[in-house]
Amino acid sequence: MRENLTTEGSYFLAKWLDGTISDTKLRTLVSEKDFIDFKKLKNGLDLLGQLNRSVKPSFISVKSSINQKINVKKTQKSFKWGLSIAASILIIFGCYFAFNSLDTSYETSYAEQKTIKLPDGSEVMLNAKSVINFTQKDWDTNRSIQLKGEAFFKVKKGSTFVVQTPKGQVTVLGTKFNVKHTHAFFEVVCYEGKVSVKNDKNEHILNPGNSIRKIDGNDSEKYTSKKLFPSWVNGESSFVSVPLNYVILELEKQYNIEIDASKIDESIIFTGSFSNKDLKLALASVFKTMNIDYIKDKNGVLSLE
Amino acid sequence: MIKNLNNICNQKVFEKLFNTHAKDLRRFLFFKTQDMNLAEDILQDTFIKLWDHCNNVNPAKAKSFLFTVAKNMFFNYKKHEKVVMNHQKRAPKSSNYETPEYLLVEKEFLVKIEEAISTLPEKQKEVFLLSRMENKKYKEIAEIVGISVKAVEKRMHLALLKMKDKIGDV
Repeated sequence: MRENLTTEGSYFLAKWLDGTISDTKLRTLVSEKDFIDFKKLKNGLDLLGQLNRSVKPSFISVKSSINQKINVKKTQKSFKWGLSIAASILIIFGCYFAFNSLDTSYETSYAEQKTIKLPDGSEVMLNAKSVINFTQKDWDTNRSIQLKGEAFFKVKKGSTFVVQTPKGQVTVLGTKFNVKHTHAFFEVVCYEGKVSVKNDKNEHILNPGNSIRKIDGNDSEKYTSKKLFPSWVNGESSFVSVPLNYVILELEKQYNIEIDASKIDESIIFTGSFSNKDLKLALASVFKTMNIDYIKDKNGVLSLE
Repeated sequence: MIKNLNNICNQKVFEKLFNTHAKDLRRFLFFKTQDMNLAEDILQDTFIKLWDHCNNVNPAKAKSFLFTVAKNMFFNYKKHEKVVMNHQKRAPKSSNYETPEYLLVEKEFLVKIEEAISTLPEKQKEVFLLSRMENKKYKEIAEIVGISVKAVEKRMHLALLKMKDKIGDV
């Protein structure tokens, strides 16, 4: 048997291992028991070969799975990036619109007057210590101004022009009018065109020369004036039957002075005017006529007696 | 990325761990599964899991992590296989154990083969390993070793004979 296996000149076992000789052929060359042993041996060898084969292909495949995972993470990251970019754009646009719709504001200090041209060519003359706010965006379709203090408006024809004060709302089409609002004093004088004055309860239509005012808790009162524009435009503050405290307020605004009126009765009614350019003249024209003495003290406060 | 040479998240460290343990793990998995393809799948999944936990596993403990994970994955697979088979009402493969092709390869038998190879004469061993482990053709081996193809065949033939004698009745 052994001789038989070794003396075979063609080294059939090598050829069988190689696959050039089939199992069936081998069976004819060796005994059945030998065949089974060889076959088992070959299986074991094949398996050993497989187990010992390089792990490089496995590593490559593991690596590609890992890279896929990393890529998934990365795309999630870039998705987040995209989100934050979108958010930034939103914020930028938001800021743009917010600033665009933000109020434009003009303010006058003590003893200061300003004339402001609005986007449509209308004019606002701001008296001393007054503020207006308005939105430049959409001005043509939404002419709306918030006012604190006193202003004279020359409104060009166009869409509804609204002046809002805490005391009431003045709506006009094209006209000249004066709106004054200080503390509890609210006065509208119409010089040209038609003006509608609305507060919480009532609406009043003012024709040229008509005025309306509301002082403190009193009812609104209407009166007429023949002037073509408010006197302050010409450097004069005029009052018709106004409590003295509002006149004093106006003096303080026009001259940036402090007046101590604690010793006098401020509710006296005053009719008249004072110059906005000459303090001495102004004080004389108000207080001399009212029989009130005025002394400037060390701190520069004007005391009334 | 992470430069720390002691962190598995470092790709170099990870690759080194793979090269050190992959073969042992594959062998381990094969004897559990008796299925080369399944062993390969679990091997890859195990290393992917190692990568997922690369920040939490100490490189010194990587080996035990790998073998534990591989074992658990194998058990999970078996559980799943059982469920699938119950569901399909299908009996496990009925192998014909009478023909040698289906003989189960035991771990001990492989060890015996390895021992037998190591006792081969140097010249036969060289040729035999090139052929069986490196998958080289006889012609290539002839070129590498610098002998004729006939001489290669002779060495292979004799090597196999010797191994059968050595292992004896299996």
